[in-house]
Amino acid sequence: MEAINDLLLGFGQILEPFTLAMLAAGVLLGLVIGILPGLGGTSGVAILLPVSVFVAQQDQTAAISLLAGIYWGALFGGVVTSILFNIPGEPWSVALLFDGFPMAKRLGRPGFALTLAFTASLFGALIAGVLFTFFAQPLADVALTFGPAELFAVFLMAFATLVGLESGSPLKSVAMIGFGLLLAAVGFDSITGEPRLAFGQLQLLSGIGFIPVTIGLFGIGEILASAEEAGVKYEQVAAKLGFGDLLASIREMRRKVWMLVVNTLIGFWIGVLPGTGATPASFLGYGIARQYAPDKEKVNFGKGEPAGILAPQAAANAAGVGSLLPMITLGVPGSPTAAVIMAGLFVWGLTPGPLLFTEHKEFVWGLIASIYLGHVIAFVLCVVATPLLASIMRAPYSVITPFIVLASIIGAYAVNTSMKDVFIVVVFGLIGYWLRKMKYPLAPLVVAIVLGDSTERELRKALIGSGGNPTVFFASPFAAALSIIAILLFLLPLFQHLLRRRRAAAAGA
Amino acid sequence: MRPYQLATAAVLIAIAAVAMFDTRAGALPDPAAQVPGGLRGGWYPFWSAALASVTLLIVAYRSATTPQPAQGPFGGREGVLQVVRLVVPMLVLVIVMGWLGFYVAGALYLGVFARYIGGYRWIWAVASAVVIPVVIFFVFEKLFLVPLPKSFLYTQGLPF
Repeated sequence: MEAINDLLLGFGQILEPFTLAMLAAGVLLGLVIGILPGLGGTSGVAILLPVSVFVAQQDQTAAISLLAGIYWGALFGGVVTSILFNIPGEPWSVALLFDGFPMAKRLGRPGFALTLAFTASLFGALIAGVLFTFFAQPLADVALTFGPAELFAVFLMAFATLVGLESGSPLKSVAMIGFGLLLAAVGFDSITGEPRLAFGQLQLLSGIGFIPVTIGLFGIGEILASAEEAGVKYEQVAAKLGFGDLLASIREMRRKVWMLVVNTLIGFWIGVLPGTGATPASFLGYGIARQYAPDKEKVNFGKGEPAGILAPQAAANAAGVGSLLPMITLGVPGSPTAAVIMAGLFVWGLTPGPLLFTEHKEFVWGLIASIYLGHVIAFVLCVVATPLLASIMRAPYSVITPFIVLASIIGAYAVNTSMKDVFIVVVFGLIGYWLRKMKYPLAPLVVAIVLGDSTERELRKALIGSGGNPTVFFASPFAAALSIIAILLFLLPLFQHLLRRRRAAAAGA
Repeated sequence: MRPYQLATAAVLIAIAAVAMFDTRAGALPDPAAQVPGGLRGGWYPFWSAALASVTLLIVAYRSATTPQPAQGPFGGREGVLQVVRLVVPMLVLVIVMGWLGFYVAGALYLGVFARYIGGYRWIWAVASAVVIPVVIFFVFEKLFLVPLPKSFLYTQGLPF
């Protein structure tokens, strides 16, 4: 029951007027960011990192509330664009296109479709919040016993899941991880003090910051990618939410409560796995709902089936919440957005990981309380303000785009007041745009840049401690289990590839 | 798509090769070196770059030997133009920012974007060029106390 007392402490933190205001501001910003198709939750959090630095000087709990609020808001905001405009505002709302838009347009029930998605989001997030509340401390306690070998195995697992579970080429993912680690290594070596990869340039000795790189890859890269499609006219349905829609959604949820619980649990678990996050969870949720639907409902999928909206949304929000769990307890981000939030913690002078629970208890429990409160705020805002929020979509491209560019520049410059970071944003914006075109995944790159230094430190500490003996990674039961899982996850795509080949050969014979 | 994929992989391999060349001194553990564990600073980046180059070589080999989509990476002339229209003003913005500062360069950028890419009337273009930088100035310089790049006139007593 200690968890409940701690949670009350967290609520005490978050109900401070300044913190509450930051949480509400974050949620509102997140909603707007989620609705705008050119901008995602990850880039939204990245662009606002510098602002959070100044909030953190006042109060670190308020700063995490701001960033987490953006994430929670963006998880809701993507719903509106998917359902009303048939374009995903966020990658995790792609699964909502299948049934959300048909229900809004073909069945003429946009209000019902929206409230279904909102209530499912709230349901998924709150259940995940309860899981978070009770699992965070035990996981952190286990993590406190970890040495360098175990921690390195955890990082390895984080990279392996990016390779094994992401769609797209696993080889390209590995290459991106290599480059991310390489970029993180630029500058002075923290153990020997030797300069690395600086090529005699003073500017490079201080290293390449992951904040400008992330803002560039996601913020600028995304608007460049969406610029190409900007001429396309979007289809659009007008939205109005009635109280009747809300009641109908709750009735529908009561009918499908078990399906929702299962999806929430799976979504949470996927979120906890490093490097995955809400997007794969939403697709899996949709797949499960469809697979296990009664036959008479199965035919309705793709035509506006309520379960096709409820399932992905509950799973996505549960995963969003879950992805912060390994970040807080192990210092390993569970999703790209969590990676950027983690970058924020570093900048504020906090080290994510098990020690946070003892050294900054009020901070951790404030964040956990924000899961509950942030989602309730997002839900209320969504139900009340959807027609207003949907009108953001009508803001002209030529006004929004330069504004995002300027915001990205401010975001990069403000952390170190350095023009070098502004150039990095632009260069990595172009790189991000091109890598997207060439189907190189960006999430492994960003996670590797953020985790690069810690991964190197733990790896070298483990090797130094064991006198260079690589069996140290299999010496303790935890290290052995984690290392083996990581290796298997790395090899998974290879197995899948060989299996497909054999099947193809068998089919051809 | 094939030439683009091959060129991308080639450029990335070249970058990784330069990194490997730069850190080659630390590539192998050296027990005689006066560093903890005999691992020099170059050890980790060397092998990170090696990992990237090996996987990219396979990527390049596969994109050369497997069927690739016939169309290029761009959606069409109009799409490329849209991107160029976005990139060129952005590059100019960043280059002149060192001299004109954030506020003047940003105002020009907003105005030019609204007038020539948005096709707005002059009055609206000028309005957005004035209002947005002024709001940013007060929010960042006054409220959050975040200094943004200033113009060469700043030393002459101008606030931006």
